[in-house]
Amino acid sequence: MNKLKSLLVFFGLVVAFGASAQSQSDMRLNEILVVNTDDFQDDFGQQNGWFELFNTSYGTVEIGGCYLSNDRTNLTKYIIPKGDVNTKIKPRQHTLFWADSQPYRGTFHVNFKLNDSDTLFFVSSDGKTIIDYIAIPKQFATDSSLANVSYGRTEDGIGSNDGSGEGWAQMDRTSPSTNNSGVNNESKSMRMAKIDPHGLTLTITSMGTVFLALIILYFIFKYIGKFSVRQRQSKSDRSQTATSKPSVSVEDTTSEQIAAIAMALNLYRIENEAHDAESFMITMQHTDRTYSPWSSKIYTLRQTPQVKKSK
Amino acid sequence: MNTILDNLQAFWGYTGFANFELKYLLMIVIGIVFIYLAIAKDWEPMLLVPIGFGIIIGNIPLFPGLSVGVYEEGSVLNILYQGVQRGFYPPLIFLGIGAMTDFSALISNPKLLLIGAAAQFGIFGAYIIALHLGFTPAEAGAIGIIGGADGPTAIFLSSRLAPDLMGAIAVSAYSYMALVPVIQPPIMKLLTTKKERLIKMKPPRAVSATEKKIFPIVGFLLTAFIVPSGIPLLGMLFFGNLIKESGVTRRLAETARGPLIDIVTILIGITVGCSTQADKFLQWKSVYIFLIGAGSFVIATAAGVLFVKFFNLFLKKDNKINPLIGNAGVSAVPDAARVSQVTGLLYDKSNYLLMHAMGPNVAGVIGSAVAAGMLLGFLS
Repeated sequence: MNKLKSLLVFFGLVVAFGASAQSQSDMRLNEILVVNTDDFQDDFGQQNGWFELFNTSYGTVEIGGCYLSNDRTNLTKYIIPKGDVNTKIKPRQHTLFWADSQPYRGTFHVNFKLNDSDTLFFVSSDGKTIIDYIAIPKQFATDSSLANVSYGRTEDGIGSNDGSGEGWAQMDRTSPSTNNSGVNNESKSMRMAKIDPHGLTLTITSMGTVFLALIILYFIFKYIGKFSVRQRQSKSDRSQTATSKPSVSVEDTTSEQIAAIAMALNLYRIENEAHDAESFMITMQHTDRTYSPWSSKIYTLRQTPQVKKSK
Repeated sequence: MNTILDNLQAFWGYTGFANFELKYLLMIVIGIVFIYLAIAKDWEPMLLVPIGFGIIIGNIPLFPGLSVGVYEEGSVLNILYQGVQRGFYPPLIFLGIGAMTDFSALISNPKLLLIGAAAQFGIFGAYIIALHLGFTPAEAGAIGIIGGADGPTAIFLSSRLAPDLMGAIAVSAYSYMALVPVIQPPIMKLLTTKKERLIKMKPPRAVSATEKKIFPIVGFLLTAFIVPSGIPLLGMLFFGNLIKESGVTRRLAETARGPLIDIVTILIGITVGCSTQADKFLQWKSVYIFLIGAGSFVIATAAGVLFVKFFNLFLKKDNKINPLIGNAGVSAVPDAARVSQVTGLLYDKSNYLLMHAMGPNVAGVIGSAVAAGMLLGFLS
């Protein structure tokens, strides 16, 4: 019972760990626009700084209850409201927050601005764990030529989450709520059509890989087989030494011989009627006897019980 | 009276007769031919009966908007079709295949694995042909997988690479799998000499239970690390085999190879059949797919047989492989292995090749899953 409890607790922990691993911690800050004078407008027709979060996982993530902040000493500055269906971020999808310091405008309007922020934090719902943060380069707020120019990850979700800015760069164009690396990227298939129009490269690479995988498997099982045969042979030798009977090579035992042995055993079992399942068929065999046991008294009389007397 | 007539007229508009076109009739005839082949000729009845009837269901002329067609969102058939579209039926079938496959022949003679690899030339031969016929690389990859002679893999890959062609690809793959006993023997005879056909192979050694338990774990780790995109198929195949061989999960194995695979086969067959609606299926691309499919089976069979002949050059005299088992590398379990057996017996009544042919046959399943993973990785 204790074992069962431990097992259940273990599974509970695994599931809990898995659930948290597949959740808020998969979110990343993905793109930031500090000064917005001529870019995307919000639902109120206003142009303000914005930032984008990206769900790097292949499961839906609920970010309601998490925090956003631009102040390390106050990580719980803005709580993302719970209960909004739009805070459930679908796999590999983006969501956009407006940094307009007007939180009463809705879930996705935070209570701070980016042009007076050094760092942007995305904090777990415990209010303590920083899931991702990024230092905002000062020039994006001060250099007027960088107005309407965003700072983001060159590939969605790829790069550091320790504020170092690894994987981040000035973007060629803003891409709110969509892929940073470009939505018009040509597909792998189109790329393949250009680089390998006759299909030979793909064929050689793929066939090479198929052969490689199966050749490695071949070598592994060749040696496992040899090892296994040797083991069985030595076991067989040991038992033969104990019984001092003539030796039989396991390696020489073919499947046909094994099948023959199995058949012999089966026939032996059938002949001895040592079977588990009955056929449920009754057959009557006619026998000619002048004497019938039905008329015999010995079959109709009970035997006299033997009384055993204790000494 | 007018109201009744209006109602009858409206009702008539909903009937299949009012929406009838000749192309639907043609598809219904194809469906009936499939059912006939399955019942009268016993060609892959488990697949051709559901697919054939599915073709009939999918080609009843419908008034659009009734939410009953397979392509109409929210219809029952559409919900069942999600398993094909999203690709979760094929891995479940692979689970069942794993739970019913005995890899002993392969483990006892692992060099047969290489025949399974060689036969995958059918996939890439078809890929090259399809590219030259003007298909995009993604479409060509999906068509090429027909050469793997593995229905679930074909459905899995085409649902990812070319969903529009999936119906034609699936029907083509299953049709040629049913035709393996017709397509393969002439190629095998053409490419082998009488002396080669009489080669008697060494009986396979007995395989220990431990080896059988190790095989799915090592097999999966190795293939999945090399081709991670094949994980859905390879993972389920080897997992199915592990629950069979572990000896402690008998009930799971029986469910996987019994009721589960039967249910999924019914669903996959009927929905793939339904997906062949005339307006989507009857196009020149489908004709090309069928032609390329036939070519891929020919290439795969020839590659398997020729590879064995080449391999024999490096093997000792008493260790040669009968090239008649080369065809079995195309997977199509166990029909291709049966073809080896029947063809072998034509030349020597005492030469039983079935167990030997099962080695490349199951290796072909692994090989085609790895090849599918490669195509997915390159083209998806």
